[in-house]
Amino acid sequence: MSEAAPTSRPGARRINWGKRAGRVGLALLVLLIVAVTMAPVYFMVVLSVMEPSEFFRPDPAYFPTKFTTQWWERVLNSETLYPAFTKSLVVATVTTAIALVISVPGAYAISRMAPKVKYFLILSLFFTRMYPEIGIALPVAVFFLRMGLYESIIGLVFAHLILVLPICAWILVGAFETIPRDLEEAASVDGASRLRTLWRVVIPLAAPGISVAAIFTWLLSWDEVTYARFLTLLHPTLPIQLLDIIGRSGPTVVATWATIVTIPVVIVTYLMQRWLRADYLAGAVKG
Amino acid sequence: MTTAQLVRPYTPSRVSRAAAFVKRHGFEIVLITPLFVYVFGTTLVPVFASILLGFQNPPRGGGFPSLESYNLVIQDYQFVSAFINTLIITFTSVGLELILGLIVALVMTRTFRGRGVFRAIMLLPLGIPVVVAASNMRYIFLSSGYLNQALIDLNLISQPIDWLRYPLALFTVAISDMWKVTPLVMLILLAGLESIPSELYEAAQVDGAGVWQRFRRITLPLLKPAITSAVVIRGIDAFRIFAHPMGLGVGRTVPVLSTFGYYEYQRVYYTTSAATSTILLVMILVTVLLYIRIAGTEEITG
Repeated sequence: MSEAAPTSRPGARRINWGKRAGRVGLALLVLLIVAVTMAPVYFMVVLSVMEPSEFFRPDPAYFPTKFTTQWWERVLNSETLYPAFTKSLVVATVTTAIALVISVPGAYAISRMAPKVKYFLILSLFFTRMYPEIGIALPVAVFFLRMGLYESIIGLVFAHLILVLPICAWILVGAFETIPRDLEEAASVDGASRLRTLWRVVIPLAAPGISVAAIFTWLLSWDEVTYARFLTLLHPTLPIQLLDIIGRSGPTVVATWATIVTIPVVIVTYLMQRWLRADYLAGAVKG
Repeated sequence: MTTAQLVRPYTPSRVSRAAAFVKRHGFEIVLITPLFVYVFGTTLVPVFASILLGFQNPPRGGGFPSLESYNLVIQDYQFVSAFINTLIITFTSVGLELILGLIVALVMTRTFRGRGVFRAIMLLPLGIPVVVAASNMRYIFLSSGYLNQALIDLNLISQPIDWLRYPLALFTVAISDMWKVTPLVMLILLAGLESIPSELYEAAQVDGAGVWQRFRRITLPLLKPAITSAVVIRGIDAFRIFAHPMGLGVGRTVPVLSTFGYYEYQRVYYTTSAATSTILLVMILVTVLLYIRIAGTEEITG
């Protein structure tokens, strides 16, 4: 609405109208996209607190006026919630810890290599993501069945590491690349060994990037269903529990479970954004 | 024998050159080894095990080599259906994601009020777990769900449509996938759009090129690398689609290759499950190679 500057050129009025129509079109498009994006999440939250009479009728209410906590009470009192929640939490956390131990050193080494070698190594890591997960999950599941580790947390952590390591390492390579080598050289001039330099200088400086990688890894493990489906029968993770509920319960209960699966993700993503803003590096280079 | 051949021991042999390399890069090699051993060990070994298992006698193996599992699978109506469904869902969802992702990315390059909020909302689906994304689609696509309700309110239909019934459910699964990953496609395409120099558009405008012409002659050709990587990344994932049909509750009625492989494993038919995953692997490889080939040659001729 800003370029309404008066002009004597003929035809200026028409161009202005075209622009205005374009703006209205853009606004409508933006609104439509926003509505489609938000609708499923909106209905999930609303359904979880909705009176049954508002949904179970020929015309379910878009904007319900009667609310209830009965679905939340039912799910929070469900015997299956806490074991599943704990399993997911432990698996995601242990997976993240081991993934960092394995991929921090590896990613650091990759980040210090010649660009061509670096590109090749990262690409070769990503090629492993091309394999169908069911082809990996099947032998792994059969192996763990034989070893008596079926449904164990160790088994699922082992499987989740297959999924998360390439992505975790890839984020970390990016994080380490932003740490200038001058700092390492300065440390080595001061007589520190390379391992000591990595531990005392590089890793602390890369802390924000490492946190982002950790949180991303945690989310991948928390969300994962293919390996978890192959490796669980009686003791599901939270997403698998949700899958089992879908066929058996009504939309309101499913929505409540779905909200519970999502809440930790929201918290963790919020934490990640705080880390993303932190910029320790600038200070280190200046000082 | 010449002297040149006699002094040969002085030139470093392959072994000693390798030793020198190890000595110089020993630290890096030690750091990198666990990562690569784990990643390759835990993918290549199981994949090979799966391929071998597929060529054994059903249901649980032994008697290598045998084509019995492939025979069983090919004659299974569910498998044939899963094969076709996977192809349809992949092409539909990747196609929709590209079109929508490009539209949103183009909107994102414009400046308008509330752009920051719009961006944040657009990235929302990336933070929603896949199973949740799929199960959320149920409230919308159930025959008593919100989509039918909206269509009835708009007087577009009079009777509710059963979106979760085959074959319409194929479309529903594709939409579910699309909702979840269009933001990712959008980010890839947006990065591509932002790398196109604005001088090109200005020059084209001076030469009198219209909006459509600029899009057709500048944006699309220069966006090709980004489109290719989006198609490859998304295509691979879409072929392996698993959580969406499961989360929509149509895992049994709308089989895809991954869910078919899972159900075969569940009824302890390991070899047919392995054969399915091998077929899926071949599908992915062939499609990716073909696509890169076609996209590559077009770039040269066009």
